Amino acid sequence: MEEQMAKIDLSNISHTYNPLDPKPTYALNPFSMTWENGKRYAILGPSGCGKTTMLNIVSGLVRPSKGEILFDEIPVTDLKTEDRNIAQVFQFPVIYNTMTVYDNLAFPLRCREFTKEKIEERVKSVSDTLNLSSFLNSPARKLTADQKQLISLGRGLVREDVAAVLMDEPLTVIDPDLKFRLRRNLKEINEQYKTTLIYVTHDQNEAMTFAENIIVMDQGEIVQVGLPKDLFEKPKTTFVGYFIGSPAMNIFHSTVSSDHEVKINDTTIKTNSNLGNLKDKNVKLGIRSEFIELAEKEKSNTVKIKLTRVEDFGNFKLLTGKMGDLVIKSKVEREKPIPDGELNLYFPPEKCCVYSDEKLV
Amino acid sequence: MNFKHKFVFLFPGLFVLIGILIFPIIFTIRLSLSGWNSYTPEMNFIGITNYIRLFTDDPRFWESFFRLSFLSVTTVILQYVIGFALAMMVWREIKFKRFFRVIFLVPMMTTPVIMTVIWRTFFHESLGPVNDLLGGLGVKPILWLSDPVIAKFTVIIVEVWQWTPFMFLLLLAGLLSLPKEPFLAAAIDGASPFRKFVYVTFPLMAPISIGAIIIRLIEASKIMDTVFVLTSGGPGTATETSSFYIYIKGLREFQMGYAATLSFTYLVIMIISLTIIAKVLTKLMIKE
Repeated sequence: MEEQMAKIDLSNISHTYNPLDPKPTYALNPFSMTWENGKRYAILGPSGCGKTTMLNIVSGLVRPSKGEILFDEIPVTDLKTEDRNIAQVFQFPVIYNTMTVYDNLAFPLRCREFTKEKIEERVKSVSDTLNLSSFLNSPARKLTADQKQLISLGRGLVREDVAAVLMDEPLTVIDPDLKFRLRRNLKEINEQYKTTLIYVTHDQNEAMTFAENIIVMDQGEIVQVGLPKDLFEKPKTTFVGYFIGSPAMNIFHSTVSSDHEVKINDTTIKTNSNLGNLKDKNVKLGIRSEFIELAEKEKSNTVKIKLTRVEDFGNFKLLTGKMGDLVIKSKVEREKPIPDGELNLYFPPEKCCVYSDEKLV
Repeated sequence: MNFKHKFVFLFPGLFVLIGILIFPIIFTIRLSLSGWNSYTPEMNFIGITNYIRLFTDDPRFWESFFRLSFLSVTTVILQYVIGFALAMMVWREIKFKRFFRVIFLVPMMTTPVIMTVIWRTFFHESLGPVNDLLGGLGVKPILWLSDPVIAKFTVIIVEVWQWTPFMFLLLLAGLLSLPKEPFLAAAIDGASPFRKFVYVTFPLMAPISIGAIIIRLIEASKIMDTVFVLTSGGPGTATETSSFYIYIKGLREFQMGYAATLSFTYLVIMIISLTIIAKVLTKLMIKE
C-alpha cells in the first residue's frame, strides 16, 4: 500500500482569543514542535490548558495568531480544514444517521469521486481492521456508541492520503473495558497503516498506554515532551510530578545543604543532582511514592515518619505518614509486614528529583 | 395523603379544564343533536337528523373541506421551504445578520386582519397597485380576487407572507441549537454544500421540522380571517374554507344545531388526519 503520510511542523505557533487587546492573554504560548510521520502522540493536560486549541490549529478550525504549520514542509496555515488532508475524531461519535455503515465509510471517498472498485477495496480493508465487516449493511444509527466511534475513525482511515488522524478525547463515551480494547485497536491501526495519530486527553492512563510520545501541557505552555517513562521518573516540573502518577509525586520544601545534598526539616537527603550552581538555596525535593522503600532501621537517606494511614489497593498498599507537618506517601508490596507507629523510609538518591523554581535541576 | 386533599389541589385546574374544554365540547355534541335555528331557538332533540343531512345532502361542506386541505397543505409546504431557506441564509455568520433576522420577522408582528385589508387593496383589480405595475410592463390586468382559480393563489400568497416568519423562527432556533461536530466532520470528509445539507443539516433538523410543520398545519387549518377579509369566500364558493362555511351556517344563517354538527364532525376529522400526518411525517423524515 502506498502511503503519503506527512511530517507535521508547528513553527513558532501561538494563539490568543483576544488579539485586539493591547495585552492579550495567550491560550497557547509560542512554541515549536515537529510530529514525525507515523508515530503516536498524546497531548495531555488539565481542562483549559490549551490542548484543544492546539488540535484545532492543526485541523484548521482555528487559525493561529502567530506562526506557521507545515505538512511535509508545505505551509498549510491558510488552508481550510477540508483542504488539509487530516481526519478528526470527536468526543462524541459523529455518523451519518441516514446511511448504512458501508455508506458512512465510503462517504469521504465518494465526496472525492473515487471509482467504485477503489471505494469497495478501501472500505473492505478498513472495516476488516475495525471489526465492522459484519455490520456493513446495517443502518449506522443502530450500532452501539463504541461501534459508532469506530465508524468516525474509519471515515478518517479510508483516505490513504491523510496527514494525521486527530482525536479529541475520543473514548469519553465508551465503557471502561471497551476503552482498553479500542486503545489496543488504535495501536494496531497505527502499526498497520503507519498513520500519525494525535490524541488529546486529560486522562494520564490513556495517554501513557496509548502514546509513544506524550506532550504535557499546562496553562498554554508545553511543559514536557517525552516517553511515558521519562514523565514518570524525571518530571521536568513539579506540575508534571503532581499531574502524572497516582498518587501524585511527593514534593517537599527543602534547602540545599551541599553540592549533592538537601535538607528536609533536619533530615539530610543525598541526591544525584548537581546543586552547586544554584543561587536560590530554597528548593523542592520530589520523589515518587513507588520509589520510596521501607527500611529496617535508620541509615543514610532515610526519614523517620509516623504512620497515619494504610490503604489496601489490592495489588499494593499505600502508606501515608507524617514527618513533622510533611505528608509522605509510599507504595509498598501488599505482602510486606507494616510495623506500627514509627518507621523508616529510604529515598534512593538516583530517584530523587530536585526542583528549583519549580523546574528540574 | 388521602383522596380528599388531592382533590382540593386538583380542583382549580379541573374546573378550568371543564369550563373551557370539556363543557363546550359536550355542549356542542348536544347542540348538534338539536334543530336549534332562528325559527325554533330551543334545545329540542331531533336525533342524528343533522348528521344525515351533512353526509347525504351537503356537498358544500365537503368541497370546503377539500379546499381547506389544499390551501393549508400548499401554504405550509411553501412556508416550510421558504422559511428553511431564509433560516439557512441568516444562520451562518453573514453581514447584517441581525438586521435580516429582524426584517424576516416583521410580517409576524403585524395584525393579520389589517394586513389582509392592505393586501386586498394591493390586489384590487382596477384600483390596486399590483395590476397598475403589471400594466406598466404591458401585462393585462389579472383577476386576483374574482377568478376562482387565481383567488385561491391570492389567498395562498397572503397566508405565506403572513406566516412564513413563524416557520422561519422555529427553524432558525432549531438550526442554532444543532451540534457543531457533524458539520466539522462533514467538512473534513470533503462533503459539498449539497451533500452537507442532505446528509447532515436535513436529518438533524427532521424532528424540529416535523414539530414546526404540525404546528403550522393546525394553525393553517383555522384559516378564516384572511378569507373573510380578502374574498369573503368568493368568487362564489371558490375560496370558502370549512371554518368560514361553519361561520356562515352558524352566525349568519343561525342554524346553530347544524353548525354544531359541522363543527364536531370537523373536529373529529382534524384530530384523525393530523395524527396520521404526524405519523407519516415521522416515518418519512426520521428513519427509525
